Amino acid sequence: MPGKPGNRHNSTFGVVAARTALALLFGAGLFLSVTPAGRATARTAFLVAAVISASQPAPLNLLEEPVRHIQKTVPSRGGTVYLDIYEPATPAPPLSRALEGIVIIPGVGDNRNVPQLINLSLALAHVGIVVENITTPTLMHNDISAVDSDAVVQAFNFLSRWPGVGADRIGIGGFSGGGTLAYLAAADTRIRDRISFIVLFGAYFNAETVLRAYGQRAIIVDGKLVPWYPTQYPLQVLANVMSDGLPPLDGSLLVSAFIPGGKPLTSNKLAQMSPPAVAAYHLLEGDEPGRVHENMAALSPQLHALLNTLSPSSVINKVHAPIYLLHSRDDSSLPITESQAFAAALARIHRPYDFVEFGIFQHVEVATGHSLTQILGDALTLFRVLYKVLLPGS
Amino acid sequence: MLALSCFWLLLGLLVGLLAVLAKFWPSSWGRKKWPAMLSIGALAAFCGGWLGTLLLGRFFASSVALWIAVLCVVVLPRLFVWVQQKHRSLFPRGTHSSK
Repeated sequence: MPGKPGNRHNSTFGVVAARTALALLFGAGLFLSVTPAGRATARTAFLVAAVISASQPAPLNLLEEPVRHIQKTVPSRGGTVYLDIYEPATPAPPLSRALEGIVIIPGVGDNRNVPQLINLSLALAHVGIVVENITTPTLMHNDISAVDSDAVVQAFNFLSRWPGVGADRIGIGGFSGGGTLAYLAAADTRIRDRISFIVLFGAYFNAETVLRAYGQRAIIVDGKLVPWYPTQYPLQVLANVMSDGLPPLDGSLLVSAFIPGGKPLTSNKLAQMSPPAVAAYHLLEGDEPGRVHENMAALSPQLHALLNTLSPSSVINKVHAPIYLLHSRDDSSLPITESQAFAAALARIHRPYDFVEFGIFQHVEVATGHSLTQILGDALTLFRVLYKVLLPGS
Repeated sequence: MLALSCFWLLLGLLVGLLAVLAKFWPSSWGRKKWPAMLSIGALAAFCGGWLGTLLLGRFFASSVALWIAVLCVVVLPRLFVWVQQKHRSLFPRGTHSSK
């Protein structure tokens, strides 16, 4: 019995819709599993979801490679390097290429147990990247030393010999103050031609301009000086850094003012200190914003040299790998103007780089309470950068 | 892997369902079309998933399961009909005997 014209029309529409759905599913499945662009898309989408949500997306747990966590140590010029390695627990399948690796310097301090770092490491390992988080005794003591760039070199060499990892498929990621060590290591002739990429997130370009911003408690945005107030921790770190270039008594007084619970130095204590130490104190304390220029000039040549050796700007043209700069717009540890200056300097010397700004991060960690529009906007930006990083290895 | 295998089976059933709606079954299958198409989809996705795991790793296995399931629900019924017709043309009724 012939059906009504309306039913026939619905039936035809249903068939077309089902066939279209099947064609799309076939294309999507083939694209995501077979083509490099598709594989990079799948891995990036998973990573973005894991980073933005600061957790492993539960439905996707099913798809993940199981991960193994191993702790190792290697010697370096600055002391023992502590390595936390996260890798896929299963061997690389026959049709996939050698695994990618990334050496991550997750900032100053001992960040090995920070949940968001563990989440990121697991997410990277789940998509087939061997992650090597490193820390050193100096970093654990809330300090940065240029000699620790050797720790990054040793960690890089260690990862390049790791079973299953392609020696030419290893990148370096530096977060916050770890970005400095990442960049200094990337300029090291022992490894610079073997690094496939560098990601610097919330890093600084020049330690002196950071100190200047701390002293002014202001940064220049669109040509205007706007108030900017740093959190306590970077002041503590910079006090530790600068104490290395000061006489012991000056150094210990400076450090004492910026440890958690430390009090501003009295005029009696300041009178005991050398002029460079007093200038360093006022710059960090931010109590003489109108005398920043004079205080910078009062720093000793040793302090200027120390700050220069801890600045990526000093070796900007010695890095060959593509550079990805990521920075939070409202970063209250290291101002976004640092990455902007970094990007401008890289553009001037025609080095390959990409620079993106985010609104949902506070320094290098995902913050809560953002609108869906902002989350989606930043997710797309993050996707674009991570896709570029992951594509060559896919 | 048990959970993942079940996921592939479900994925295959969904693909089989879509294939029924898309009328990819041979007219000769009649009422058997539902169990046949769903079984093809589920089995193909299951095998595709395991093949994907072995060749590309677990992360990409579900994508492999998906496209292999779609490929099978489209191709296998047509292949079945083609084999049947070939068989009939080679062995017309009455000529195919064990002797």
